[in-house]
Amino acid sequence: MPRPTELIAALGTPAGTAALAVLRVSGADTARLVRELWGELPPARRARRADYRDAGGTLVDDVLYTFFAGPNSYTGEDALEISCHGNPFIAQKILEDLFNRGCRPAEPGEFTQRAFLNGRMDLSQAEAVMDLIHARSERALAAAHQQLRGALGRKMEALIERLLGVLAQVEAYIDFPDEDLPAENRAAVLAAVQAILRETEQLLATSHYGEMLREGIKTVIVGEPNVGKSSLLNRLIGRDRALVSPEPGTTRDFIEERLLVGGHGLRLIDTAGLNRNAPQALEKLGMEKTGEQVEAADLFLWVLDATALNELNTKRLSERMAPDNTVVVLNKCDLAPISEMKSMPAPLAGLPVVQVSAQTGAGISALLTEIEKLADGFQRQQGGELIVINARHAHALTSAQTCLRAAIARLSRADRAVELLASELRGALEALGEISGRVDNERMLDHLFASFCIGK
Amino acid sequence: MVFNKTPFAVIVCGAGHAGVEAALAAARMGAPTLLLTGNLDTIAQMSCNPAIGGQAKGQIVREIDALGGEMAINTDVTGIQFRLLNESKGPAVQSPRAQCDKKAYQLRMKHTLELQPNLQLFQATVTGLIFEHGKVVGCRSNLDLEFMGQTVVVTTGTFLRGLMHIGKNKNEGGRLGDFSAKDLSASFLEAGIELRRLKTGTPPRLLGRSIDFGRMEEQKGDASPTLFAFHDTRDPMELFHVEQTKERRLGWAPGSNQVSCWMTYSTADTAQIVRDNLHKSAMYSGEIAGVGPRYCPSFEDKIVRFSDKPRHLLFLEPEGLSTDEYYVNGLSTSLPFDVQVDLVRSIPGLERAILQRPAYAVEYDFAPPTQLFPSLESKKVENLFFAGQINGTSGYEEAACQGLIAGTNAVCKVRGTAPLVLGRQDGYTGVLIDDLVTKGTNEPYRMFTSRAEYRLLFNHASAELRLIAHARQHGLLSCSRVGRIEDKARRVADWVKRLESEREPTQGILWGDWVRRVAAKQGLQDQGEGRGWAALPTPDELARESREVREEVLYRVSYAGYLEREKRQIEKLSELERIRIPADLDFKAIRGLRLESAQKLASVKPYTLGQASRISGVNPSDISVLMIHLHARATST
Repeated sequence: MPRPTELIAALGTPAGTAALAVLRVSGADTARLVRELWGELPPARRARRADYRDAGGTLVDDVLYTFFAGPNSYTGEDALEISCHGNPFIAQKILEDLFNRGCRPAEPGEFTQRAFLNGRMDLSQAEAVMDLIHARSERALAAAHQQLRGALGRKMEALIERLLGVLAQVEAYIDFPDEDLPAENRAAVLAAVQAILRETEQLLATSHYGEMLREGIKTVIVGEPNVGKSSLLNRLIGRDRALVSPEPGTTRDFIEERLLVGGHGLRLIDTAGLNRNAPQALEKLGMEKTGEQVEAADLFLWVLDATALNELNTKRLSERMAPDNTVVVLNKCDLAPISEMKSMPAPLAGLPVVQVSAQTGAGISALLTEIEKLADGFQRQQGGELIVINARHAHALTSAQTCLRAAIARLSRADRAVELLASELRGALEALGEISGRVDNERMLDHLFASFCIGK
Repeated sequence: MVFNKTPFAVIVCGAGHAGVEAALAAARMGAPTLLLTGNLDTIAQMSCNPAIGGQAKGQIVREIDALGGEMAINTDVTGIQFRLLNESKGPAVQSPRAQCDKKAYQLRMKHTLELQPNLQLFQATVTGLIFEHGKVVGCRSNLDLEFMGQTVVVTTGTFLRGLMHIGKNKNEGGRLGDFSAKDLSASFLEAGIELRRLKTGTPPRLLGRSIDFGRMEEQKGDASPTLFAFHDTRDPMELFHVEQTKERRLGWAPGSNQVSCWMTYSTADTAQIVRDNLHKSAMYSGEIAGVGPRYCPSFEDKIVRFSDKPRHLLFLEPEGLSTDEYYVNGLSTSLPFDVQVDLVRSIPGLERAILQRPAYAVEYDFAPPTQLFPSLESKKVENLFFAGQINGTSGYEEAACQGLIAGTNAVCKVRGTAPLVLGRQDGYTGVLIDDLVTKGTNEPYRMFTSRAEYRLLFNHASAELRLIAHARQHGLLSCSRVGRIEDKARRVADWVKRLESEREPTQGILWGDWVRRVAAKQGLQDQGEGRGWAALPTPDELARESREVREEVLYRVSYAGYLEREKRQIEKLSELERIRIPADLDFKAIRGLRLESAQKLASVKPYTLGQASRISGVNPSDISVLMIHLHARATST
């Protein structure tokens, strides 16, 4: 029996939000990976705390990692465990980065399989291992079937069909040079490959929407200090979560809560007030964090004090605020009745406005309706189809893109070695096949014989 | 009446392209071999077009040569036109092709068989197999002769219940003017071997002096022909022409004395004739039950399926130097003869053409090849091997390479040694057999380069280097040739290493990088003139190496990145390829294996875990379960 050595990685804890998520890596190259990530190889079986930075140098999370030297590991080969915060988004980010660094997604039960093959389990456990793989693969299969029946499956199928069509165009000229084929149309092939590349880009872009679906829509409550942001949060979730006081600047860190609105999951985030005037040191720290949250927000609840509209800052708090992602919440309307309101200040122009009283609960249902409208809008932007892309899909799409870009480069250079062009297109097809199942060459031939009259 | 008291090691039934390679391979390995054929005068006959090679097939012929087969050298010596296809594309997809003198090809092959020690030829129509305890022990002929053999290789081509169609007219036979092997099918069915029907067709043959070549476009052979055999490592004595066998001398250098082919096109009239008479076609009137190949459709198929195509290309190919018969490549049909005459005469240059033989379609039995092990031995009957069209393939080259493998493995079986199983990473022969035994086929299977995952590694010139380990292990080549090939392999490897480690003095960069840079640039400028290896920069000493060594070195260096990628893919899959699955494994008893997968695995009975992974519907977790089961089984015994 050979010893498998390829680096594999997978999430070791169930998907979903928990306090911690554990990622596992196994393979002969683990030590190299650890050095690449953290510059050194710590002693085996000693947990280390460190920043996890992705290949681009961006900080993803503060993690605990442990290196295990084979054969004293679960799989019997060198292995790594990374514990990160339980936010599934962080775990996916790290997983994606591990794939970028040369790991491949582990098959169902593959860690256990390696453990067995490396003698980490005795013979009596073999059948138990097989049962485990069986059960897991049934689950994975059911999940994959579910996914492939849906919009992603249809999208992938359409993409594969188009790629097969293009490949057939190229292969026909390779395999049937003596046939009376129409003149080779490289421009058409180039255009088709470019279109396919764009589609994979769009698919990858939807991975953020997928994230919204999984994690909830990141809804940030912003506004100047003491306009009632925390009160609004408490009112929305129906219990006291945020510390509320009449003293401005009470919320120095941000608070996150979950809320379900019309079937949409929201991550409701209360931020420190954005104060124009010089703040105290501690509050300044809170405001910096607010800035980060604002940048990553999907939806803004911009809270204004209805009693102090005249003092409104002339600028929007973020350039990203727009009518399709922002609700202006005029709070304290119990203190400033609607009738007293005059024309809207300029920065609010075009934004939906709801008058509420976080204190009394007046207007909250109108606010929820408004939020639901915007969330529906996000869904519509995806063409009404729910496409969920996970790290594994993203990995496959990214490899397909690498091949497609190389193909485009060849086509643009008018390179004569068409077999290399075909090789890139076949690489892209293989990558896409990792999502929806291996694409048999017969399917390419079906395209070829359907579009060309071959036969001497 | 028993023909032989001492059984032959190998009996080969059928002397087509598969049969002759099977018999030669077995005899050359030193095994007493009997080759039976219904007609000694039609040995290695080209029933369809008089040409060998072409895309992917040309590479197969070179692989046959690398494994000691005869097809390549027989083509070189009897070839009358040579062309390298795809010359303007990369080396991996360039393929040699040759028109052959049909009769000379047969005569030389027959004589080669006659000269071969350990090999006996005999004319007999095999009517049945003789079984004993579930094993084959021989066969019998229509003249009540019984032939005893330890193994039997069956290569029936289109003759197994062959039925020819011309319009409504039907004739039994595997080829025009030949017989049909009617009774043999019963033997297979008796042994529990499933048979199905396939169909193929062939165009009319015309008299040359009735053709107006002035109205056609000439297609000449290449000025410097690309040959099929590896003449740089072969013994020059093997190059003989049939008329000079006494002196074992070559009459002329291969590739000299070339003749031309001619191109013409069908017209709107031709299409109209087809449309008017479509109901009379055997194919379209429901007379034919067999499935035909998509890549070689009948002419009526082309008109129906591609109705917007105004004309169809046709080639006139000479059938030999000592005949004036021409093959009309592209005009295969099963229309009635009178319609065929009209059809032919509607084509420019063929207005007064005289048909010497009609076109016809032929239906025949094949045995779905998933009933075979990768050694080409039947799973149902021990010691019985199949090769060629009976396995559902099409083409002389596809047949020949299977014959070579089946003949070799029949000897391995007799000797109790491991069979010769080529993998998908070894070349087209490996891809072909793996596809057949793993996936089976619904139409006559022809090789395309696109079927190979590692196409770039399968450039025709590297066949010898790719297969030398297998050839040596099974004793398929003479010691002296093995030595020459190994020397060549060493030179190539050394030179690649040198170019990747030494600097080019004027550029100050590695030779390899410099070669790649020039090659990339050349790809833009050097239109139509071939790859222009000569234009690539090389150290002076490399220029003094043989052309074969030089070109292989430069190919490997200039395509290094891509070749490396394919090699890595092979490496990745090789773990699974190395894990053998015992033939007696009861898949249905394996815990954790999905029922659907267990059934598929049980029907294909894969030879390795790698083959198992290629069965459609078998997924990676099934392979994991299998791997663990095999591991547990290995450690417990």
